[in-house]
Amino acid sequence: MNDRKTTQDWMKDWQALQRQYWTAWADATRGASGEAPDPATPWHEGLEQWARLFGDASKQSETAERLLATAKNYVALMQSMLAAATGKAAGDAAAPAWTEALRNGLNLPGLDAALHDNPLARMLRELRGPGAQAIDQLSASFAPFLARAREEGLAWLGAPALGYTREHQEHYQKMAAALLDYQDAVNRYNALVLKASRRSFEIFEDKLAERDEPGRRIETLRALYDLWVDAAEEAYAEVALSAEFRKVYGNVVNAQMRVRSQIQQEVERIGVDLGMPTRSELNSVHQRLHELRRTLRRRDDDALVELRRELERLRTEVEALRRRPAQAKPAAARSAARKAVKTGNARK
Amino acid sequence: MGPIHIDPQRAVAELTTFNQKLAAGLKTLRSLDEVDYGATPREAIYREDKLVLYRFRGETSPTAKTPLLIVYALVNRPYMVDLQHDRSLVRNLLARGEDVYLIDWGYPDLSDRYLTLDDYINGYIRRCVEAVAKRCNVEKINLLGICQGGAFSLCYASIHPQTIRNLITMVTPVDFHTPDNMLSHWTRGMDVDLFVDTLGNVPADLMNWCYLTLKPVRLFQQKYVGLVDILDNKEEVENFLRMEKWIFDSPDQAGEAFRQFIKDFYQANKLVNGGLRIGESEVNLRNITMPVLNIFAEQDHLVPPSASRPLQQHIGTQDYTELAFKGGHIGIYVSGRAQREVPAAIHDWLAAR
Repeated sequence: MNDRKTTQDWMKDWQALQRQYWTAWADATRGASGEAPDPATPWHEGLEQWARLFGDASKQSETAERLLATAKNYVALMQSMLAAATGKAAGDAAAPAWTEALRNGLNLPGLDAALHDNPLARMLRELRGPGAQAIDQLSASFAPFLARAREEGLAWLGAPALGYTREHQEHYQKMAAALLDYQDAVNRYNALVLKASRRSFEIFEDKLAERDEPGRRIETLRALYDLWVDAAEEAYAEVALSAEFRKVYGNVVNAQMRVRSQIQQEVERIGVDLGMPTRSELNSVHQRLHELRRTLRRRDDDALVELRRELERLRTEVEALRRRPAQAKPAAARSAARKAVKTGNARK
Repeated sequence: MGPIHIDPQRAVAELTTFNQKLAAGLKTLRSLDEVDYGATPREAIYREDKLVLYRFRGETSPTAKTPLLIVYALVNRPYMVDLQHDRSLVRNLLARGEDVYLIDWGYPDLSDRYLTLDDYINGYIRRCVEAVAKRCNVEKINLLGICQGGAFSLCYASIHPQTIRNLITMVTPVDFHTPDNMLSHWTRGMDVDLFVDTLGNVPADLMNWCYLTLKPVRLFQQKYVGLVDILDNKEEVENFLRMEKWIFDSPDQAGEAFRQFIKDFYQANKLVNGGLRIGESEVNLRNITMPVLNIFAEQDHLVPPSASRPLQQHIGTQDYTELAFKGGHIGIYVSGRAQREVPAAIHDWLAAR
């Protein structure tokens, strides 16, 4: 690379690299992905086109899906870093400039504003399991209703329920309160994750600065990526091991459980109305069954212990009898003789 | 100068290679069948509810006179100890003459929700120990507890010491309140009663989500970027998929046992602080007077070494040995180093006793 190049020269270099990338991509996916796209297309979009080819289920489609999603993020991030590298002479930029390039790479176009500059939150959102998603969807579908409740000062949530439907009203008040509480808890959790994301950029910058010496400089995109991962994990661990996180994490879990519990009660009520067996009824049967099994086992175990004791006693007695045959036999013989005499006298 | 010296031409080549491997590898991925696991022949010798007690069959008859029973954790499937032909703790132990048995807990469903730690430890484990001892015509057996199964084994050995000749614990948490234990840190803010009362059994997906969020970037992103490196190697991909299956093939957790485990172990740290009761029996680690081998992994993020090491201070034996393995919580079963070091260390330690 030449330090005297103009901005136009760098632009040409960058365009050449983009063409080179797409030519290589077309070669790699020949016959499958159609024509090579415009060189200015973001590189990760090639992977999206490629991903569509794997829409049909294969035995490992889930792994392929996860792999492609990760590769897309990786390529977008690396393209951003490479664009930054192409605009500068080798080693021309200080750590903050690279950190800025990293931010740009992590903020994909179309990204939810809440996830901007917040890669850890994005990862955690992608990670969310089906169970948690269902609760979040519910929370989202109630959002307008909950927003109105907030505007009205939440006063109605504490209003006494009256009349024929008072039980239902009270239940819905509790459910709304639980959802609001859950939203608040999630917001506090997200704020901490954002804090971890911000800290990750600081740590990344520090780690880069540490490498500003011969023999430690970063020469590959992968090494750069791995450094970013180290920084992100370090920042996350700092926050996740804090006393504040423990409290906030516990609150999210507990708040979600209260929402689930309210939903379960509603489902149970509907089940009862329809004459369907409920979770509570089954739990009750299972609990009784386990208690019964324990009682039976205890009896069996106690009986076995008693049998073993009895067996041990008998063994000891037999052993004792075996040890004194010499004394026992004459005594037994005398006793038998006395008995015979008595019997004979009686017959007479 | 600056910290980054990336040559753009080389960088494009690097990304191009990445894409080529990805494109070629995805074709390979599509062609692969479901991966199999479990390399060693075995026979079921005892069954109870969903539990199966297996005896493994080696290529030659065992030379060890005392059988070795492996007690695995409830939170994952036990085939990790016999994942594949060249990654098998069981196979390597058999090759050295050990007589190896394993408890497979099965997959609890909602009918198992009310199983307690008493049912698991004084019930299932006790009856499995009796079954192995009876079959081998011995009064005492060797016990190898892994992870949560290690904590169970410590409880069992302290309550029924007369049935255990030697105790081995692997990646076993003892002190749950060390500052680097993230999992324990998180559980201490949870209302576990509300959690179990609401969920019943604890879903495996939720457990896995929790484990992944211990290191979200490494486990949900970097791992799959690394997968691209091996995508052109069918055997390596199969190994990866086998591991992937094991990680996510997790049983739900029986609610009551989970409740007590979180409350007494994670939250109250009773294994160390005292006051732990399993059913009607008090757990006193001082009752563990048989020889103990404690193996832990130096890079374990689930059970940090600081959680395992304190065992020595709390048990009653004078014959205590520690083995620090250079690797992580999973590498201790499946890495090449593990195959060379761990079974040999266990066998040699047992043979000397």
